[in-house]
Amino acid sequence: MTANVLILCAAGMLVSAYLMVAQKALFTTIRLYSAQSLLLGIVATAIALSQGRHELFVTAALTVALKGLLIPWFLMRVVDRIGIRQEIEPFLNVPTSLLVCVGLTVVGYRCSTGFPDGARGVSHHVVGIAISLLLIGLFLMVTRKKAVTQILALLTVENAVFLVAVGVTSGMPLIVELGISFDVVLAVLILGVLVRRIVDRFESMDISRLSRLKG
Amino acid sequence: MSLLVWTLVVPLATALVGGLGGPRAFKEVTMVGGLALTFGLCVATAGECLHGAPPVAFGDALRVDGLSALVLVLCGFVGLLSAAYGVGYLRRNEARQLVTPRRRRQFFALIPAYVFAMLLVSASNNLGILWIAVELTTLTSVFFITFHDRDTSLEAAWKFLMLGSVGLGFALLGTVLLFASGQGQLGDGMAALNWTRFMQAAPGLHPFTLRLGVVFALIGYGTKAGLAPMHTWKPDAYREAPSPAAVLMAVGMLNGAVYCLLRVHLISKAALGPDFSGGLLLALGLLSVLVATPFILIQWNLKRLLAYSSVEHVGIMAVGIGLGAQAGVFGALLHMTYHSLAKPLAFFSAGTLAQLHRSSDFDRLGSGTLSRAPITSGLFVLSALIIMGSPPFGMFFSEMIILRAGFLGPHAAATGVFLGALVLLFCGFTYQVGHLVFGPARDPALDAPDPEAIDIGMVTAILAAILAVVSAFYLPGPLLTLIRAATQVVWEGR
Repeated sequence: MTANVLILCAAGMLVSAYLMVAQKALFTTIRLYSAQSLLLGIVATAIALSQGRHELFVTAALTVALKGLLIPWFLMRVVDRIGIRQEIEPFLNVPTSLLVCVGLTVVGYRCSTGFPDGARGVSHHVVGIAISLLLIGLFLMVTRKKAVTQILALLTVENAVFLVAVGVTSGMPLIVELGISFDVVLAVLILGVLVRRIVDRFESMDISRLSRLKG
Repeated sequence: MSLLVWTLVVPLATALVGGLGGPRAFKEVTMVGGLALTFGLCVATAGECLHGAPPVAFGDALRVDGLSALVLVLCGFVGLLSAAYGVGYLRRNEARQLVTPRRRRQFFALIPAYVFAMLLVSASNNLGILWIAVELTTLTSVFFITFHDRDTSLEAAWKFLMLGSVGLGFALLGTVLLFASGQGQLGDGMAALNWTRFMQAAPGLHPFTLRLGVVFALIGYGTKAGLAPMHTWKPDAYREAPSPAAVLMAVGMLNGAVYCLLRVHLISKAALGPDFSGGLLLALGLLSVLVATPFILIQWNLKRLLAYSSVEHVGIMAVGIGLGAQAGVFGALLHMTYHSLAKPLAFFSAGTLAQLHRSSDFDRLGSGTLSRAPITSGLFVLSALIIMGSPPFGMFFSEMIILRAGFLGPHAAATGVFLGALVLLFCGFTYQVGHLVFGPARDPALDAPDPEAIDIGMVTAILAAILAVVSAFYLPGPLLTLIRAATQVVWEGR
């Protein structure tokens, strides 16, 4: 039962990443990220219940509170203040992007067979999905031009790392995890402030225009 | 509290005091005094490590062995120099009304905070704490890069933070995978991420997971070290950051990142043999040296020139470590030491030149700076000679040791390419510096630069110059012992 919930939620995270790739409205993308983080929280809770690891409850609570609610709320506020709602045409169009993502998922699953459990059991799916999610996050980062989308891509990569952490190791030591969550929130706050200053200065958050420094 | 804890508490307290308001003289004295005390404590901690068991704190989460001690001392030293120069730098900028009170508070808080984060990196035995400390240096750097609040600062800060965060994401994934490769042998709780625990469990680590983890961790921390092809944030960041902060990044953070690379390399070496991570480091190092060459030749900005030189030097260190010979490791650590002694001088003199001319771009600096700022230009030429690796200065010898180790080992062909790139870099750097300092007189249409003045910044630069020259002929015995102890840690893995 838990195994099914686990695989279902992990798959849900992958689907949310695909939808982020296909999506241009910034608010929807932020909501998708929020859903992804909530699913990560459920994955952590499921593992905590099935293996009796109580520290993972803290991880799950932190994930839901910080990544599911706080960070999305903050990013929505940034977007709201700026008043830019749409991603402009990415460097690659949506159908091609989705095809690339399918390829990345294959790579991710192929990679996961080298782990101790190989192509068996729950961890095969969790690791496969986590690596795919990581690759899709990186892909999103290089193909999008808007600053906020790049932050979301970065956060997707970060979610992928956490999925590996809960899926393969049943969680990192608690204090380290607290430190990491704190750092991530801090990084997002600083990035948000930077976005606002970039928009004030350049009247756009199109990162491809930031190209004065070369050589 | 133990000495080690005090070493970390003092810079943190200095940062807190610096962040509060107060008269300027008080803040200046606090910052320089606090960091001088920190340096003293670093030396004392290193001494404790040389004369007995490695000092530990918080249940082995912090542990200072030979390698940590070397990096700790170098970071403390650079922190002190940078604070002293920073006082003069900030005064000059304030005289021109370039600094708001808020920025001034930030400056006095962030320099010691950065030193704290660097020291935490170098004393970490726990891979999780290590990651958190590196992330702290990254977040602090952002404030340095946006310090001058120009258009280009925002661009540089954005690129730095995005690239740095991806790099750190990789490093985190690497750490998680290293932890996963233990498959429960590492034990429970915080101590499970301890480097010493990893070294004990090395033979039983799961090979595939470990390989994947090592690759991610090396790429991640390599981004922080500025190894090519992840070096692209460096020139932007060094150009925008105030010179005293750029020194902290170019020397302190560089040493810290190399320290992270070494810790990962050692785990990999103990579990998989020296060739896997060694080969990767060798390849990245060689690529860095090669990539730096053309960019030094076509460079248009003084501080970016120094950034590419820093890419070159981290490449040299990575090659030394990656060669897989004990002499190579010794050469790399010696190079790290000499680099930390000489690079501050380069940044201080270049920073002063840029301040006098109000820009670090070559077209605004103009050529022939010797006639306009003789002392600073002289210091800059001296620093350039040292960091190019010309004899009789120290880096010449450390490079020779690495080259010799390379030609005697199995990587002779790679060493040949490495030597060729070093020669080209030497020529390129000579050309750029020669043109800048001794070139034809400057276009009179540009506004006249400020005259040189002997202030605390200048005095610090001269002191740094004396140290850099003296160290070429005489390294204090304890420092050499420390480098040997660090080499032993890297070579034997304990």
